[in-house]
Amino acid sequence: MPKVFYTQPDGTVVAVAASPGDSVMATAVRNGVSGVVGQCGGSLSCATCHVYVDEAHRDELGTPGEDEDEMLDCTASDREDSSRLSCQLIIGEGDVHVTVPPEQL
Amino acid sequence: MNQIATDYPFAPVSAAEAAERYRAIAADRPMTKVTMPFGGDAWVIHRTEAARAMLGDPRFVREPFRTGERVVPYFVEFPEFLRQTLQFEDPPHHTKLRRLVQKAISPKQVRAMRDSAVAYANSLIDEMVAKGDTADLVHDYALPLPIQMLCNLLGVPPEDHDKFEKWASSTLAVAGMSEDDVVANMAELYMYVVELIQLRRREPLDDLISSLANARDKDDTLTDEEILPIAMLLVVAGFDNTANFITTGIASLLQHPAQLELFLTDPDGLAPTATEETLRHGRFSLGIPVAGGGALVPFVATEDVEIDGQLVAEGEAIMIDPGATAHDGIALPDAERFDITRQNNPQLTLSYGLHHCLGAPLARMEMQVALAELFKRLPQIRLTSTPVINHDHLSQPITRLDATW
Repeated sequence: MPKVFYTQPDGTVVAVAASPGDSVMATAVRNGVSGVVGQCGGSLSCATCHVYVDEAHRDELGTPGEDEDEMLDCTASDREDSSRLSCQLIIGEGDVHVTVPPEQL
Repeated sequence: MNQIATDYPFAPVSAAEAAERYRAIAADRPMTKVTMPFGGDAWVIHRTEAARAMLGDPRFVREPFRTGERVVPYFVEFPEFLRQTLQFEDPPHHTKLRRLVQKAISPKQVRAMRDSAVAYANSLIDEMVAKGDTADLVHDYALPLPIQMLCNLLGVPPEDHDKFEKWASSTLAVAGMSEDDVVANMAELYMYVVELIQLRRREPLDDLISSLANARDKDDTLTDEEILPIAMLLVVAGFDNTANFITTGIASLLQHPAQLELFLTDPDGLAPTATEETLRHGRFSLGIPVAGGGALVPFVATEDVEIDGQLVAEGEAIMIDPGATAHDGIALPDAERFDITRQNNPQLTLSYGLHHCLGAPLARMEMQVALAELFKRLPQIRLTSTPVINHDHLSQPITRLDATW
């Protein structure tokens, strides 16, 4: 079973067992990982599930689509090259490492 | 041990008993079928997880309410102009409209507005202090702050703020105006917004009306008929609710001395969690009786859907009671406690999913600023009388909150 590792802004890491096909956002919300809000439930309309994806996974997780790219301009914490909305990050067979930004709202 | 009543809805009881009843109801069933005063029967959800499942499921829609095919099952008759707004649209049209507005009230935009909110909150406190050592915190603080922010967001010129405030306030429960006056004010507000849209189309500035008015020049095309309801929804939803939330937050802290003492140790640091707790705990903290009932705008099932073991049949209406889900005892075991440090706070007061509150980032920011600035400037503030509540209005707002410092 793959795991998602969420690094919090203070450096602490929360590891959560995940199911392939689930999103990084849904996995965080279901397991009470703080800092990932996901208020729109994954409908790409709130920009509150922003994460920074670890360099090692960027290729396997693809690039933001047009709608996601637009919403990434709306995030509370600064957008970086590694920024993604975690509702659009679908977990495969391998582990995923992401960093939670300091602010979502 | 006495059996706890699990009837829903239920008449006002003490906050402790209401919390106990909500817990018992949620333990008993995920939802109750309620006959509404308007529009017939509707399911009302009591459990957080069932609510999230429904709110995140595209098989629940609102279009039949907007077209008039179905009467909105609710406690009051839904006004026509509210049924023509974004909240009654379904994708894909909803998605297009929502994105346009969302950009102007996104977390990033709201962060940029925070400094002006802090400055305005402090100017309101300056005025209160200049007048003496007492104030009605509803009219002197909790209402003007969101109105000012809304004017700035929409692009209402400073010279028009006073009349805009007068028209917009007429829709408020606290205004206590006659129906004729409300209708007259609303008509003037409509005309004003129509003219503002036309002005900003000719002379755009960096504001929401300008971006909506000129969206037609890009891929998105918006007509005046589409912009007007969006602007009106923002006016109606944009400050009445926020003002109520701010007042509830202030009153809750003032009525929980231990929590207030804690808050005063770090107002800026604790404002975000105190805000979430205010949104969740709502009226439970005010030391007044709490009734079991209330709900966000309903949806209609487009097919048979099972939620948390309960079949919701095609064509049935369904809504969530955020007061119930916030006290379901399942998502939050110690829900009766008002705890401003609570980190895991799954409140649904601003809803969830496709129709979650468009202004949520703005409302949150205004609440955080309002709480932090007031208590930083006036840490010794205290209530001089019991909060006055308008029980005749659907949202039962606090209409007067007298305080001294």
